[in-house]
Amino acid sequence: MVITSLVSFVGSLVSVVDDDESVRESLPDLLRELGFEVEAFSSGEEFLASECVGETKCLILDIAMPGISGPDLQRELTHRGLEIPIVFITANRDETVRPSLLKQGAVECLFKPFSDTALLDAVNAALRVK
Amino acid sequence: VDGSEFPVELAITRIPLKGPPSFTGYLRDITERKQSEKELRRSEAFLAEAQRLSATGSFSWRVATDEIMWSEQLYRIFEFDQAVPVTLELVCMRTHPEDIQSMYDMIDRARRTGSDFEYEHRLQMPDRSVKYLHMVAHGTRDQDGRVEYIGAVQDVTERRLSEEALGKVRSELAHVARVSSLGVMSASIAHEVNQPLSGIITNASTCLRMLAADPPNVDGARETARRTIRDGNRASDVVTRLRALFSKKNATTEWVDLNEAASEVIALSRSELQRNRVILRSELAHDLPPVTGDRVQLQQVILNLLLNALDAMSGVDDRPRQLVIRTERDEGDRARLTVQDAGVGLDTENVERLFEAFYTTKSGGMGIGLSVSRSIIENHHGRLWAAPNEGPGATFSFSIPYRPESATSVHSLGAIRASDVATGQLQATRNQ
Repeated sequence: MVITSLVSFVGSLVSVVDDDESVRESLPDLLRELGFEVEAFSSGEEFLASECVGETKCLILDIAMPGISGPDLQRELTHRGLEIPIVFITANRDETVRPSLLKQGAVECLFKPFSDTALLDAVNAALRVK
Repeated sequence: VDGSEFPVELAITRIPLKGPPSFTGYLRDITERKQSEKELRRSEAFLAEAQRLSATGSFSWRVATDEIMWSEQLYRIFEFDQAVPVTLELVCMRTHPEDIQSMYDMIDRARRTGSDFEYEHRLQMPDRSVKYLHMVAHGTRDQDGRVEYIGAVQDVTERRLSEEALGKVRSELAHVARVSSLGVMSASIAHEVNQPLSGIITNASTCLRMLAADPPNVDGARETARRTIRDGNRASDVVTRLRALFSKKNATTEWVDLNEAASEVIALSRSELQRNRVILRSELAHDLPPVTGDRVQLQQVILNLLLNALDAMSGVDDRPRQLVIRTERDEGDRARLTVQDAGVGLDTENVERLFEAFYTTKSGGMGIGLSVSRSIIENHHGRLWAAPNEGPGATFSFSIPYRPESATSVHSLGAIRASDVATGQLQATRNQ
């Protein structure tokens, strides 16, 4: 059975922010197969400077990045009044990190490597938030 | 006349004259001679005992004729019967097979130059046990200008064996230090491996979906497969690097490019740096010649300095956590690597304490990092030191020679030092 996004969310813009080039290559392709529109950025600064800031319905955000970190970006967006639902992704399997991020308003925090179903569930949950 | 006795020597010889037998002779008071002989015997006994105690034998070698004379102790060292006349072939019989070539080279050199030399090599005994010998020899010329060597040979086996044992203990200590930083690094290690794994799973998931599409997206699927292979190789590289860094090996000697070694350590620590919000700047000299030494041990030192720098900056919030790693040529044909941080800095009074074994300012730290690092660098004939910065933080540096003859290994040193007696200069050459 091929699972895709819920019908109402097809075509929603999902933005991926990660400094790792291979993530910026592979994740958007998967998200497109899942039915979403995708834009990728190498840093929080790049995302903030782009036109997608207002259009993004879900933000997939790496935690550890040089420059502005994921949580930094989260704070900045809240500060600007932009309520974009965030799914954090991280390669650092630190169990203490997830609860605090959720408490700060993140929809989900996924540990790499994650399955496509876990990703889909998280994005759908994020899109349901609005 | 006064009743005292004294030794005499009496010699009588017949005079060949015609007539009845006549004899002439002499009677000599040999008190003094006997006294001298007694003193000579005593001093010889002294010498023999001294040689036995110090396990040192002496020899003479007339180069032109290859006549060799050995003291008693030297026979004992070589385990030959004293009745056996000594030849170079005999000496070679006992020489350790790995050292025979360098022994021939030494003999050759001695024949040609007649100058003093000092030499270390091994013997292999009939029972396959090994002895380490240290030899010094002084070359003289007789009135015909022919070279004769007088020398001493000391059995330094015990000293060498304990040096080797010490080397092993140091290696163990270095291993423990590595393993403890393995604990610190485990989060970074997991991170390094999880990145490519994630890529593999994401790409493979995409691949399945693309092939299940109607019509199947074969080009897309092909691309994901290519990326999967690339990520698989990335993961494999990380594992290989880590295994090399944390395995227990004896020191090896090879050419080491410090820039490459530093870059690898930086790559491995990337996630740790990110996690600690450290900004790394590397300034690696383009023209840095390679050094000779153990690559893994040197990387261990670089890693140790890097982790210490991270630690020093862990509480810093009012300024950028800047870390600079620099390589450059140092004077005296050396390569220098420095790690400069913007952390809590150093107390100049106590800088040397940092290098003591088991000294630590970290609670729960094992504190053997800097002490082991220093001893690794010293084994490479280098120096490791620390100084506070002009601004905040400290700089740790090490400097290692990059000429091959500056490096030696613990086993057969085989070093010949030809001393120029006239000018008193010493030249070192590597013989292996």
